[in-house]
Amino acid sequence: MPFGDHESIPKKEKIPVSYLVERLQERVQIDLQNFVAESTADQRYVTEADLHRPGLALAGFVKLFTHQRIQIIGNTETNYLEDLSKKEQIDAFKNITQFDIPVLIITHNNVLPDYLLEIADEENIPVYGTSLETTHFMHLTRDFLEDQFALQTMVHGSMVDVYGIGILIAGKSGIGKSEVALDLVERGHRLVADDVVILTKKSNVLMTSATEMNKHFMEIRGLGIIDIMSMFGVRAIRYQKRLEVVLELSLWDESKDIERTGLNRDTTSILGVDIPLINLPITPGKNITVIAEVIAMNYLLRHYGYDAAEAFQDKVKSHIANKTDPNAMPRRAIEYFEGDIE
Amino acid sequence: MIKEKITIVNDAGLHARPAAALVKVASKYESDFYIHLYGYKVNGKSILGVMTLAAEKGAELELELDGPDEEEAFEAISELINDGFGEVYEDGDE
Repeated sequence: MPFGDHESIPKKEKIPVSYLVERLQERVQIDLQNFVAESTADQRYVTEADLHRPGLALAGFVKLFTHQRIQIIGNTETNYLEDLSKKEQIDAFKNITQFDIPVLIITHNNVLPDYLLEIADEENIPVYGTSLETTHFMHLTRDFLEDQFALQTMVHGSMVDVYGIGILIAGKSGIGKSEVALDLVERGHRLVADDVVILTKKSNVLMTSATEMNKHFMEIRGLGIIDIMSMFGVRAIRYQKRLEVVLELSLWDESKDIERTGLNRDTTSILGVDIPLINLPITPGKNITVIAEVIAMNYLLRHYGYDAAEAFQDKVKSHIANKTDPNAMPRRAIEYFEGDIE
Repeated sequence: MIKEKITIVNDAGLHARPAAALVKVASKYESDFYIHLYGYKVNGKSILGVMTLAAEKGAELELELDGPDEEEAFEAISELINDGFGEVYEDGDE
């Protein structure tokens, strides 16, 4: 484990409904209009990323009702209510409004009768409507909320985008992480963060960024602090990048088991996401920058279906299987040399 | 492993000069050194890491030291912080 134990910090514990609505309108471009109780929206809080459709709760089954979630009234719920008499509708609606619901959202241009909206108003539950269809709305909102409530942690290392692959260079202080990152930047790759890297778990992906303090500064020992963006320009930096490979630098140690074929792959788990881990001992004459580029290209090749280690392995296996003469040695790669004479 | 809380006492807080002093002292020791603040955990041997915390006077840091010379390292680091990094106080008696 290159980073040891890392406590995860939730990005946020709760967000006010008013903030949610505003962000959804601005950033996600969802049209949302308020029906009732807008004034309470900044005192009501959303505490989890999941959404809930209260069909069963409307029908009276409120056991296990996850009332703390955003409640979505879609076509099914609206149709269900429409089939009831006015008195039954009120009873059904009260089944859910008796709970402390953060916000109620009516999708797909559905409408609730005024006498139901009044009930929500009395209970200070803000109600909004949108023209988006239910599943689409839920998908967009969940994605937004997942980001808001994402787990995050901080690690020590240098994060660089190398040919589009996010490589986190890890290792002890003073081993030369920043120097490798600087070398990579000089070769046209892009720095995400140096020394302090924030990792945010989104779905099953880890996104990385700097903090607002250290973006895009770097410390080079003996030189001090430099600013990569003013020095190399905007092409040399990125604000965010998915983490794809962890490259751990270490001092050469005879006893350490170093991978030779590339068939066995190490991973490291960060916030519950497994990330490929490459252990690289530093030895004289080793150009870590070039190796980092090769790691990125090898990752890309594998991603597109070609694995050099496996291809070589298959070749050896089929050669062994097809051997008829036990004394046959592997043939020269060239059958005969044509004269290559000047 | 040592885990101790310590408060920043100098007026200007943990700006560049004190951060450099802290990192220099910490780097003399072999032990791993981390600082916990706001749920963040930064490497105490990294100047960018320490400066990123932007810890003000009164901020309570949790120092985590782990290694063969952790006792000596903790002593040297806490002395430096408690001493206000040798910075002169603006209003004498505080």
